[in-house]
Amino acid sequence: MPHPMKIFVRSCGLAAIAAVMLVLAMPGAYAEEDMWPILKKQAFGDRPIKEDGMVVLEAPQKVEDAALVPLTVRVPPEVKGKLKSLTLFIDNNPDPKVATLTFGPAQGTGGERSFATRVRVDNFSHARAVLETEDGSLHMATKFLAAAGGCAAMQAKDPDADTADIGKTIVRVFPPALESNPIWSGQVMVKHPNENGMQLDINTAKFIPARYVKTVTVKRDGELVFKLDGTFSISTNPNFRFTFGKGKENNLNVVIVDTDGAVFKGQTQPKGS
Amino acid sequence: MCTPNLISRKTFLKAGLALAAIPLLPHAPAYAAPADVSEIAPGVYVHQGRYEVQSPENRGDMSNASFVVGDEAVAVIDTSGSEVMGEELREAIRAVTNKPIKYVINTHMHPDHVFGNAAFKQDNPTYVGHYKLARALGTRAESYITASKEMMGEKAFAGSEIVLPTMGIKEPTTLDLGDRKLLLEPMPTAHTDNDLIITDLKTNTLFLGDLLFSQHIPTIDGSIKGWLAVLDELSKRKADRVVPGHGPASMEFPQALGPERRYLTTVEKDVRQDIAEGKTLSEATKTAGFSEKGKWKLFDQYHVRNVTAAFAELEWE
Repeated sequence: MPHPMKIFVRSCGLAAIAAVMLVLAMPGAYAEEDMWPILKKQAFGDRPIKEDGMVVLEAPQKVEDAALVPLTVRVPPEVKGKLKSLTLFIDNNPDPKVATLTFGPAQGTGGERSFATRVRVDNFSHARAVLETEDGSLHMATKFLAAAGGCAAMQAKDPDADTADIGKTIVRVFPPALESNPIWSGQVMVKHPNENGMQLDINTAKFIPARYVKTVTVKRDGELVFKLDGTFSISTNPNFRFTFGKGKENNLNVVIVDTDGAVFKGQTQPKGS
Repeated sequence: MCTPNLISRKTFLKAGLALAAIPLLPHAPAYAAPADVSEIAPGVYVHQGRYEVQSPENRGDMSNASFVVGDEAVAVIDTSGSEVMGEELREAIRAVTNKPIKYVINTHMHPDHVFGNAAFKQDNPTYVGHYKLARALGTRAESYITASKEMMGEKAFAGSEIVLPTMGIKEPTTLDLGDRKLLLEPMPTAHTDNDLIITDLKTNTLFLGDLLFSQHIPTIDGSIKGWLAVLDELSKRKADRVVPGHGPASMEFPQALGPERRYLTTVEKDVRQDIAEGKTLSEATKTAGFSEKGKWKLFDQYHVRNVTAAFAELEWE
């Protein structure tokens, strides 16, 4: 029989681990190096970036599934004029830049503009949205995400079903309640594993090669709404909700290109179908 | 913080006994004692897991682990969530019989059902699972180990590892334990893409793994539509009792399927409606299925994730 003290020590060890974990779970205690100064320099050089409320970033308070974290960016209606670009970052992801959107003439003005997608979050990290307005100034919103395991974890719940119809694209338009509203909303979703090259294939003992959606070009009645340059920080089956300016027909046309050079196309259903 | 009142007297005594019993095993947990099991039918034993998430205190003891004893051999059905718990299950088997442990069957890939596998390596069993189990575990091994270690702490997780199946089940297959046959059937994607169900033909006991949750909220890691379809099929069967993956050790069949079916149907209906109304995923996670709150343990831990999974699936309809 070991001395009872020993057992106390062991159990105290457990309590200590629990205490340490609690501390680690707090955002302030996150010890990793702050990546943002480096990322900022790479992406924007020495240009000043203001956190002035001209862009708002929404993320869930508690991340439930690190492989599928919904992010929504809103540009309040008070912000007038055209937008140049929007870049999303997850600081501590293997590829921190999630996507850059370059806006075109059909982006729309005269109301709240928004963009929503779903991302992988590999570790406790800040998410950032950096908006570039017409005058070239930069505006940022940040959110802290407490999530882990989104990139190393295999996202596909049913990989066989997912690869069966890769490239299947759905494009939708949601007309506003008041059709005269100058801002409409649309959606693009594409079946694509968006493989990040970090997932091990047990049969070959090799990593599944990275293959992800590289660009998404969305046009309304032939005019550019935005072109998105993406990375594998976007979740499997990439999904985008966005606003665009009301046009004549309000037909959306989408071209998606992945890193293998595969091209997938989609468009809204003709009216009356 | 480190005061003796942190440990209950029971734990204390259990720990002392266990240390005395098996002090020399390399991974010998500091407190391995036989797991509590109940004999729900002749030769069929179930250890009921707790309705909790992984923690240093529960050591991964959060799912039901069973074993079936034949004339010649023993089959284990799920091994709980850590090597330590696997050892305790093994002790429970050894308290009942000395027959060889020939098969270790996993009903699916989740950590709380497989991390005890390592405790049975000394028996050199055939590890059995759905034919997609190996792939599922292989691709997730790293994240499962990292996450479980973080949740449970190094100590409770010590010795735990991913042990891949050596026998993959693609067609219905029977295993013979000596005057006792187990029927193993792989299911299409439902709770996960690697659900395997087992029937002890001798007592007509059905082991559904996590295709059946009771009290503990169901968790969707496969396909909500697939799961409901599998439940439709299963409810046509006859069985004398069913062992859920989470819930009481033994339940009446098919009545036991009712609440889970209601939950999944509710989530499916609400999410479909949100999608039809053009709502976003984050909007849906705030309302869909909340009529089920209060009816399940761990609702706050898993419900939003379920809605997320259901949304990502159903929006493709």
